[in-house]
Amino acid sequence: MILYLSTIILLVVISPLLLSFITQIKMFITFKKPISIFQGYRNFSKLMSKETIISEETSAVTRVAPFLILSPLLTVLFLLPPIVKGAYYVSFVDAFTITGLISLSTFFLMLLGLDSASSFGGMGSSREAFISALVEPAMILTVFSVSMMAGNLGIGQAGVNLASSFPQKHMASFLFSAISFFILLIAENGRIPVDNPQTHLEVTMIHEAMILDITGVYLAIVEMASSIKFIIFASLFASLFMPFGLQFSVPIALMIFIAKLLIICIAIALLEASTAKLRLFKVPNLLGISIVFAFLSLITFYVLGA
Amino acid sequence: MDNFLIGLFLATLIISIFTARLYRLIFWYFVNSLMLGLLAVFIGIKVHDNALIVSGAITLVLKALIIPYVLKYLSKKFHLQRQITPNIKVHYSVILIPAILVFTFFIAEPISHMLQANPNDISISISSLFLTLILMMEHNHVAPKIIGFLTLDNALFLLGITATNGMPMLVELGVFFDILMAIVIINLLFKDTGVKA
Repeated sequence: MILYLSTIILLVVISPLLLSFITQIKMFITFKKPISIFQGYRNFSKLMSKETIISEETSAVTRVAPFLILSPLLTVLFLLPPIVKGAYYVSFVDAFTITGLISLSTFFLMLLGLDSASSFGGMGSSREAFISALVEPAMILTVFSVSMMAGNLGIGQAGVNLASSFPQKHMASFLFSAISFFILLIAENGRIPVDNPQTHLEVTMIHEAMILDITGVYLAIVEMASSIKFIIFASLFASLFMPFGLQFSVPIALMIFIAKLLIICIAIALLEASTAKLRLFKVPNLLGISIVFAFLSLITFYVLGA
Repeated sequence: MDNFLIGLFLATLIISIFTARLYRLIFWYFVNSLMLGLLAVFIGIKVHDNALIVSGAITLVLKALIIPYVLKYLSKKFHLQRQITPNIKVHYSVILIPAILVFTFFIAEPISHMLQANPNDISISISSLFLTLILMMEHNHVAPKIIGFLTLDNALFLLGITATNGMPMLVELGVFFDILMAIVIINLLFKDTGVKA
């Protein structure tokens, strides 16, 4: 039990670190002076100590929504596959539950954007709805086909099964679902080909547009929620698509897990540094590719057994 | 491992159908041929067939290095249009490609019972044949059509490797020679259409 809770606390604690790490690598590649890796914590403490101002036009939704954005994501953290041997895990939770909880969080984020009735908020919310509606089917298909390969519909159990007996026979469909899930990871977390998290430019922003009107503690909570969302996707990718290292003792397994997360961060940073942001109406094409690969993974598994 | 390589082969093919840039298409052709050559070498080592290893190595050198280089050189030399938007929109491709895949997977099932080979290899190579036909159909320009033709050859080679565990070496060399001749003809085609294409 202690192991279970402490891994969850570890995930929460290192989540801002990963986003700063991505920014650091990107700045290093583009010959800028990199920010500190602890910038995420600094931003958090700065926002916590600032005054919280709420617009007069808003309803009760703005006061409640930040907590409702954070809480489904915190719930998902409890349902992830284990990262060390011997830790507890929830074995019966399937793809629908996790996708549903993540979209519940996205729903309240969209409400928060709409609530202040500014034009930017509504624009950001409509864009977010547009993207997340396309992410969900692909995500369900992908996680489903991986859990089929692992022989169990529950995601936690699937992670354990994959680590103990890797499906050598199903390597092709495994690869397709990995490609699909990586595109989803980028799209759902608003990384560069889909959304640029660092600009406040009217034509490009999605996530930033929704949170323009909130300040202080609420903003800190929403930022924390977005970093936790990133670590949910990254650790799902790490435990479902890089299933090794679970059999070692606890410190080594933890180190391997963090190394996998850092590898994912490096891959994302390289991708962000080398590609330009897509036009908003080209984003469905990218997600369409993701859906094709997810579907391909399922049919390759079912029809061919490969 | 060979499942992994075949998966990457099909994945690069599908991505190249969605591509709208010429150099990106040449890059995906390069990755596609690289996977094919590695697969040939890998299967050759597995079944102890020296001829297959040799033809895999020739594939690596010829299709993965020389042909992409020549294509890129030619398209630079003749200032070909680099933006090649597919005629079939991505929204339709998203439906069309899985439909083709399901169709060919079910078609290939009786064939794979006839041959004593891995069923998934044969179905994936037949489906990649159909996908390369789409790649050739959906473009108006010469260069992507030629890349589609070369990818078609890759798919045939994959079928040859997986269905028979290695074609005869002589046939392989004949195919390679054909491809080299094709490259020469392509050079002429580019020269004619280079100005307006």
